[in-house]
Amino acid sequence: MKLALYLTFPYPDRETFSTFFGEMIRMRFDYLELGIPTGTPYYDGPIIRRTHRKAMEGFSFSFLKEIVNVSRLAGKKNYALVYYNHFHSSTGKFLDDLKEAGIDGAIVPDLLTDYYDERRQLSEEMKKRDLSLIPFFTSSTPDSAIREMTLLTDSWIYHGLQPSTGIRVPVSIDLMVSRIRKLCNDREIIFGFGINSMEMVRELRAEGADGIAVGSSLVSYMDSNDRQGFRSEIEMLGDAVYD
Amino acid sequence: MYSEQNVDIIPEKWYNIVPDLPEPLPPARDHDPENSSIDLLNRILPREVLRQEFTSSRFERIPDEVLEEYAQIGRPTPLIRARNLEKFLKFRGKIFLKYEGATVTGSHKINTALPQAYYAANEGLQEVVTETGAGQWGTATALAATLNGMKSTVFMVKVSYDQKPLRKKIMNLYGASVFPSPSTQTEYGRRTLQEDPEHPGTLGIAISEAVQYALDHDIRYLLGSVENCVITHQSVIGQEARKQLEIIGEKADTLIGCVGGGSNFSGFTFPFMDTDVEMIATAATEVPKFSHGKYAYDLIDTAGILPELKMFSLGADFVPKSIYAGGLRYHGAAPALSLLIKHGRIRTDEVDEAKSLEAFRIFSRTQGIVPAPESSHAIATAMEYCRKPENQGKTVVINVSGHGLLDLSFVRD
Repeated sequence: MKLALYLTFPYPDRETFSTFFGEMIRMRFDYLELGIPTGTPYYDGPIIRRTHRKAMEGFSFSFLKEIVNVSRLAGKKNYALVYYNHFHSSTGKFLDDLKEAGIDGAIVPDLLTDYYDERRQLSEEMKKRDLSLIPFFTSSTPDSAIREMTLLTDSWIYHGLQPSTGIRVPVSIDLMVSRIRKLCNDREIIFGFGINSMEMVRELRAEGADGIAVGSSLVSYMDSNDRQGFRSEIEMLGDAVYD
Repeated sequence: MYSEQNVDIIPEKWYNIVPDLPEPLPPARDHDPENSSIDLLNRILPREVLRQEFTSSRFERIPDEVLEEYAQIGRPTPLIRARNLEKFLKFRGKIFLKYEGATVTGSHKINTALPQAYYAANEGLQEVVTETGAGQWGTATALAATLNGMKSTVFMVKVSYDQKPLRKKIMNLYGASVFPSPSTQTEYGRRTLQEDPEHPGTLGIAISEAVQYALDHDIRYLLGSVENCVITHQSVIGQEARKQLEIIGEKADTLIGCVGGGSNFSGFTFPFMDTDVEMIATAATEVPKFSHGKYAYDLIDTAGILPELKMFSLGADFVPKSIYAGGLRYHGAAPALSLLIKHGRIRTDEVDEAKSLEAFRIFSRTQGIVPAPESSHAIATAMEYCRKPENQGKTVVINVSGHGLLDLSFVRD
């Protein structure tokens, strides 16, 4: 299995972010997901929403480039998690800036729900710049949309388990994994949104997930400046994922 | 009507349309940036109901206990060829009625009250709470709670509470405590009354009170309409109708139903979505959500405790005229239904109170069934449809969502 780690960029400020990123980058994981802060992170829960508000001040593409550079040298793949409503009015320029910062691709959680008619156009724009569009699916994405987006893209796939990040309503993980697997065949599928226990990681592993993405559960360590706790959380996730 | 031989018409699974929609269903959104109202649902809804709300499964097995109860309350409901109405309209085609008024509580509402109450009782709850507009949903909840050994509390929109004293009596008979809303039972109700002691109430306010009451007393709230899982449960209507038509060798050209929150219409039509059947949703002219509403995120409840949904809505603060069809007064309509209307798959119509009353009289005199004022709106649409030359020869099915025997004060002597 693969491990994807999410940080809102640069939460809470550049200095603290750099410190925790420095801890993280020495550890084992595969994908770095950087949340581009926006005023309307609709599909994030309260924890990540708060990080967006706080991170807005410190955001710049030049700082993003610095961080991504370090991450690339450490052998990680780097993705932006960005809402389409954030760059909808300046798509070309925004994608150019992402590319210039060394980003490999982007997860756009509101593309299919709020901008469905623009999915092909965005996919084209990203292809032109050699950026991967990571399809983002949830339990409410219809089969036809999953099939089409799977054909339009060739990257890994992100599947949200919960209606938003960092919350936990009852879901049938087994049904969710088997459904998406059947629709996407052998594509790599990473599951995220609401993974907050090792038990959940083990269940996903047993059901055949290719990887997990974790974000909300790292925020509290940054808030309490607990570098030790932050490291051991990532280590534990790594143990569950890579064992 | 309650024939034991027909029980195999009741489906074994509910149908969830979400994986078959033409585009993704916009998900529920938090209203308050600081908190998660989606997470709060853990404290409001029975766990299994909440799981079904967000499921990706196309089919959901109906528990044996619920199937048993469906048979007890009168499922399958009859599909009746309305020959007298055909003759009255001089219609050269066929009209069928799917008659949900034949359930013991007199409407389709029991179809979802039973499973929700069953799941709540299974999870060890002793009491459930809900709101009601016209009274049909409260009646269904009261019976479903009693059948599952639980107490129930119902907040009834004040204008209906005053118009329909018999509704309160039935709910009491089934064991429910009934309060007119706005009430003094919740903080939100008290605040509303302070601003306007004569407030007629709205469904949005009553929902707010019921949800607040559930949180205050650590009990669970039952959902009457709008949410996905409710529509999934209501799919028994359409699945039965489809099977009944098959048995008699008929194929529907047109399905017509009324829309309050959208559950009877969606439950009736969604199981036909893989066919090319025409579908018409009738709302009340006085609550013009499709012609004057906006397709946008809006609140379910006026207090904003529940998450926002993307739907056709007149705004959660919309206070409708006191039309008799209380079930059609709701400001919004189910997200999956709204999406299909926006997409052009489902057509809409609006019928005013006078026109629905005319349909109510004609239908009563021709078919003998006294339809609910809500259902009368769908009947009015169907009558107009069957009078048009281009529709002659078609097979039309109307979902008569309930009877109106408790709504006879609707008719002036």
